Amino acid sequence: MDYYLQQLVIGLSLGMVYALVAIGFTLIFGVLNVVNFAHGEVYTIGAYAGLFVVAAWAPPLAALLLAVLAVGALTGVGLERLAFRPFRRFTDEASLKSRAMREATLMSSLALSIIAREAIELIYGSQFQTVPLKLLLNEPIRLGPVTIVNGDVIIFVTALAMLLALQFVLTRTRVGLSIRAVSNNALGARYVGVDVDRTIAWTFVVGSAMGAVAGILVGLYYGAIFPSMGFNPGVKAFVAMVMGGLSSIPGAVICALIIGVAEALSTIFVASVWQELVAYAFLIVTLIFFPRGIFGGARERV
Amino acid sequence: MLEIAGLRVVMGAQEILRGVDLTVGAGEIVAVVGANGVGKTTLMRAISGVYRPSGGQIRFEGADIAGLASHRIVARGLSQAPEGRQIFSSMSVRENLVLGGGPHGLAELDRVLALFPLLGERMSQNAGSLSGGEQQMLCIARALMRRPRLLLLDEPSLGLAPKLIRIIFDLVASIRAAGLSILLVEQNARGALKIADRAAVMEGGRIALAGRAADLAADRRVAETYLGGHVEA
Ligand SMILES: Nc1ncnc2c1ncn2[C@@H]1O[C@H](COP(=O)(O)OP(=O)(O)OP(=O)(O)O)[C@@H](O)[C@H]1O
Ligand SMILES: [Mg+2]
Repeated sequence: MDYYLQQLVIGLSLGMVYALVAIGFTLIFGVLNVVNFAHGEVYTIGAYAGLFVVAAWAPPLAALLLAVLAVGALTGVGLERLAFRPFRRFTDEASLKSRAMREATLMSSLALSIIAREAIELIYGSQFQTVPLKLLLNEPIRLGPVTIVNGDVIIFVTALAMLLALQFVLTRTRVGLSIRAVSNNALGARYVGVDVDRTIAWTFVVGSAMGAVAGILVGLYYGAIFPSMGFNPGVKAFVAMVMGGLSSIPGAVICALIIGVAEALSTIFVASVWQELVAYAFLIVTLIFFPRGIFGGARERV
Repeated sequence: MLEIAGLRVVMGAQEILRGVDLTVGAGEIVAVVGANGVGKTTLMRAISGVYRPSGGQIRFEGADIAGLASHRIVARGLSQAPEGRQIFSSMSVRENLVLGGGPHGLAELDRVLALFPLLGERMSQNAGSLSGGEQQMLCIARALMRRPRLLLLDEPSLGLAPKLIRIIFDLVASIRAAGLSILLVEQNARGALKIADRAAVMEGGRIALAGRAADLAADRRVAETYLGGHVEA
């Protein structure tokens, strides 16, 4: 029983990490109807940026997270400029979410993700980078019979704070309302005078900042940072986005938590090598039984 | 206020607007009527910067706005209630109006709700769940939130019951009375010509006929084609 509880807590914090990554996918899919294949690398860049900041200044955790947040935001701007904006030369509303645009940016974001991964390998090498011991988020916390580590709590609380902040941005600020407007009706957004290009750039800023923070949190939790670390959480977050209905943020968050918890609990029944398959199983089940996503149905599919 | 000269819009191999000339004076209502597919909406989209003109001029308050990005044109005081309404269906009425206000936010809210009191009761409802007529009102209200000096209306009466059409046309007249200039595209030529000062008939991407609305309404050819029969003089 205690073991179940412990795995549940671990699963929730894991799920929150997937949720942070899934939000980037979801927001970007909302405004452009494309999957940003470089999103996993944003997560990796967040982890390496954190490593760099730690080595240079060794700041307290909060400052470190803020620095990574900023790096993620800048990465988002660069990513949009290099891989997405060049294909958006036409002002006609039909081309903003067109199939040609989707295919072009699919390739360009994939290309950029490969370049980013290779660049990291060139600089840091392909081996694991270890996190200084005192920064590791693995201090045990005893809650009655259950033992978890402080990382579980820190990840959960940080991610929750970011989700609440996102909620505030999307409902209370002009940038957030513009993001939702472009997502809901890009043509309508132009008629009310929303600067669509700038709004798309902001979408990448918000999504990438959250993805980058997820990267450093996990890096500090497991104590290992490596060039392909973004792949797995990228897949899980992608599955969460699809399960959640492609452009629903609450849907993606809930599904991310479901995947995280299911993975953690699966280790009770099967060897942990099978854990990775949980998300794929969810994806297949979703695509077969809920082709519009479990919470979806609001929007057409890719 | 708005002067359009020789406006051309090309889509692919198709030339949809082939030299449109049209002016809207300060405080005027100008109506554009014409059959389906003659390019009325294309004209409106080109003015708002949604389509890029291939040639010609669009001057708004003296400055050339042809080819400017749509958000810059809106910022200059030219708003549109577009064809198909294009409201934000998954957002609340209030959020639609906030977005319409742009940098002004809800500053104009009281004045706009005075024109559309019904919307005031629906502020937190999802815009997509409004009735067709309410959506049309929201669409116009949203455009007014920005305090435009020129308002473009593309078929505001489309799909509405006769009673609501009258209400919309009355509203348009009262919006003008508040000092706005209005460019109105309408299938409902009879109603449009009644409230307009001047009017133009579009055919095949050009203005085929233009003049005082009253004169056009009395014109035999216009009456037969667009008003469904003769009009009594
Ligand atoms: N993006 C586009 N690509 C290709 N053709 C277009 C495009 N937009 C409009 N057209 C064509 O231009 C012509 C004029 O369209 P437009 O929408 O301006 O007509 P309209 O006068 O507003 O008609 P209606 O009264 O039915 O609204 C149509 O034949 C239409 O098919
Ligand atoms: Mg039209």
